[in-house]
Amino acid sequence: MAMKKRRYALVIDSRKCINCKACAVACKAENEVPIGNFRNWINEEHQGEYPKLRIDFEPEQCHHCEHPSCVRVCPTGASWQRKDGVVLVAEDDCIGCRYCMIACPYDARYFHEESGTVHKCTFCTHRIDGGVLPACVETCPSKVRVFGDLEDPASRIHELLSTRRHHVKEPQTGNGPQLYYLV
Amino acid sequence: MGTTRMDRRLFLKAAGATAGAATTLQVGCLSYFKKGRSAAADNREVPTTCELCPNKCSAIAVVEKGVVKKLNPNPENPKSRDMLCARGNAAIKQVYDPDRLKQPMIRVGARGEGKWKAVSWDEAFDFAAKKLAEVKAKHGPEGTLWSSTEGFQEVFFKNLGLAFGSPNLVRHPTLCLASVNLAYSATFGTVPSFDLLNSKFVIMSGANRFESIITPDTMDLIGGVMERKAKLVYLDPRFTVTAAKADEWYPIKPGTDLAFILAMIHVIIKENRHSKDFVAAYTTGFDQLAEHVKPYTPEWAEKETEIPAKDIVRIAREFSDAAPRALYYAGRRSSWYQNDFQMRRAQAILNAIVGNWDQVGGMVPNAKLPKGEFLFMPWDEPKAPRVDEIDKHFPLAAKGDGVYLKLRENVLSGKPYPVKAWMVYKQDPMNAMPDQAKTLKMIEGMDFIGVIDVQMSDMAWYADVVFPESTYLERTDPVEVMAGIWPAVVYRQQVVKPIHDTKPNLEIVQGLARRLGLADYFDYTIEQWVEAEFKELPIPLAAEHMKKHGVWAASGQPSYGKTLTPDHRFVTKTGKIELFSERLQEAGADPLPVYSAPVPPPSDRFRLILGRVGYFTHANQTNNVWLNEHMKENDLWINPKPAERLGIRSGSIVQVTSSVGTVKLKARVTEEIRPDCVFMLHGFGKKSKMQSLVYNVGASDAVLLETAWDKVSGNAAFHETFVKVANA
Ligand code: SF4
Ligand code: SF4
Ligand code: SF4
Repeated sequence: MAMKKRRYALVIDSRKCINCKACAVACKAENEVPIGNFRNWINEEHQGEYPKLRIDFEPEQCHHCEHPSCVRVCPTGASWQRKDGVVLVAEDDCIGCRYCMIACPYDARYFHEESGTVHKCTFCTHRIDGGVLPACVETCPSKVRVFGDLEDPASRIHELLSTRRHHVKEPQTGNGPQLYYLV
Repeated sequence: MGTTRMDRRLFLKAAGATAGAATTLQVGCLSYFKKGRSAAADNREVPTTCELCPNKCSAIAVVEKGVVKKLNPNPENPKSRDMLCARGNAAIKQVYDPDRLKQPMIRVGARGEGKWKAVSWDEAFDFAAKKLAEVKAKHGPEGTLWSSTEGFQEVFFKNLGLAFGSPNLVRHPTLCLASVNLAYSATFGTVPSFDLLNSKFVIMSGANRFESIITPDTMDLIGGVMERKAKLVYLDPRFTVTAAKADEWYPIKPGTDLAFILAMIHVIIKENRHSKDFVAAYTTGFDQLAEHVKPYTPEWAEKETEIPAKDIVRIAREFSDAAPRALYYAGRRSSWYQNDFQMRRAQAILNAIVGNWDQVGGMVPNAKLPKGEFLFMPWDEPKAPRVDEIDKHFPLAAKGDGVYLKLRENVLSGKPYPVKAWMVYKQDPMNAMPDQAKTLKMIEGMDFIGVIDVQMSDMAWYADVVFPESTYLERTDPVEVMAGIWPAVVYRQQVVKPIHDTKPNLEIVQGLARRLGLADYFDYTIEQWVEAEFKELPIPLAAEHMKKHGVWAASGQPSYGKTLTPDHRFVTKTGKIELFSERLQEAGADPLPVYSAPVPPPSDRFRLILGRVGYFTHANQTNNVWLNEHMKENDLWINPKPAERLGIRSGSIVQVTSSVGTVKLKARVTEEIRPDCVFMLHGFGKKSKMQSLVYNVGASDAVLLETAWDKVSGNAAFHETFVKVANA
């Protein structure tokens, strides 16, 4: 069977986010994330003076960068990138030096006290490899995140990115982040 | 079978070709794999129904080695729209909460002191039965009170109270949505659903739908506002998430929503924008209404509400232009002000005159589905009248639900008769009712208190005996038909065996019934009960289907307009939609909504307002560790202007005082609230030490709230309390 090239990414429609935290709790359960650590979170920005006010919510997690600085700095090769773009940590090889945590411009990694290794969003590879959506994507009441394969022209994310204006966070890092925020 | 789920959960059309797991994905099979999570024989997926809030979303529990690891949304339920909220996801922690009630307990110290003795179920039952019998001997069965809140097993608890002979069952609606239910029933003869999926123009008073999650309304509305260009006008003294997403937000003067609505009706009638055909064919009392709203001009309403008259006029025009795809949304937990019933009535009337009844994008009477009934032995109707004197004071209110605050007043005064035992199921009156000191007094006056709950609520903390109920993931419950625009049947089946010495409510009820000589009335198992219900469901192989899928939805498009036939009789006195209501007049209430201005807070006080966030609705959720980590403590929202005047800074501890209580909590100085209001979140400041994350953390609104209620429905009025705020 010829393997098709894939590039997984997320398109995020932040305006639809209601800060309900379902994504964070779903990830907590799915990936047994310890209390106090998060693989995904909601950035909040409050602006204005009463009664002219504004709140923006912005879901964030690992950007599964095209050129991941975390992978570059890892001395053991524990941080690595799959062919489909997903950035992972091979637990067995991780020595817990935390260089990657410093190198990540998006602060997407945390140190897992119990295992002594660094953890992060895996795009729920155990789910997506079976064709099931990541937990945070699936559970969201407003379906803020759209997950898919950029290489698949029939995918919804492909369609969204070709029809809607969007941006990535801090492109100047040169990391080539793969969370696309619709504007 | 299971195809909806496959289509919606799968993101890769071609995945089946490369990943074997995808092709086998279906309900009842393990659908995904993980390092360390093999597809071992003891791994299961069990469809069930969430119980963390009253929405009843469909969930699929993933069980590994007998432990619930994950709850995934079940897309087959149209109501839950393929999602589980944070609370739903966190239900796992309800099961594995170290603070959980793990065995029956009898109080040994003083009430509320927290000294308990773990006992056997027999001991707990014997003890409670003896106490209940003593009270019955002395005061009759009416000397016992049975409090409960919405839940699939609530029926067994209520039946025990009735079989025992007590007329005094009291439920949550008058602390929640009684005024909405009564107002819509009085107008349309039924309480409709709101078709937010198809509406083009929505107005909301409070009903903070993006933080108080109601399915499918929350999801349909966010889609409507963000994708389908529906317009949302939102009135709230606080800049909530809903306000932030709305097209227009008005920080309305609290308690004046009725003025806004009356002025809208005024504009619509004056400009001849109402739906003449609809009004003529289906309503009664239009002429009286037209006369009635004449003085309620937009200019008058501007003074009351602080919403500019020109905006009221414009909103009224846009609303009627968008009709019938336009809605004044009713909301739930409508217990705010003493005019709440009339405010909801006015909404209903406004909706009616633009003809959005039974229309796409309008209000839709709920479609229902038949369900079988288990026939149990009937008991004699309780003889005594209700202690809350509902017939005399609230003749229109729902008898079976009772009127909570009036009931507490009467129990405290011992009139019309003494009530000396209090049984509670799944409810926390200590936090659900305003004026906690009064509730404590009521507790003190009881000879006996028994509480059935999954956790040591504040109410349980003051009980004499606590019966630990199994959590929803550990039980099988009765079948529930969810009426609505997209009606569905849901089923909750046991996912894992109880991990502690707990029982489902039915077995607790049976244990008590046996000792009270009432065993014959409860002579069945949950399986028999459920089987009987399955029988009449319009589902082929219902039992099998429900066990495998957990939900069944009527297929096809919702049907609109069924009631729009010339011979349709609405369930009202006249058979019409009653703009003017003779029934209300006869009951001594205003037949058309009459406005009276709310009393403003004195200059040294603030109006205390309440609300929710998306991850806590009920007081029992703040101690869930997965939810608690998103907010560990509540605080008092105060606008910078008064905060500056009072020298209050964000993070400083303030003392908040009402006429009935005082609390201390941190201040949050924020632009996101009117200067004359302060706000706090519900569910903190617990008294129970077995709510360890929130015990004595932050403050409970119930301590501050004063006793006040809506005159017609008896609904508690939670926003009628003024407080003083000062640095502590
Ligand atoms: S993709 Fe999976 S691991 Fe990553 S944030 Fe979402 S739920 Fe967590
Ligand atoms: S689940 Fe969706 S709406 Fe809720 S916080 Fe996460 S992204 Fe936002
Ligand atoms: S809305 Fe959330 S808590 Fe309520 S039933 Fe649905 S998933 Fe459960």
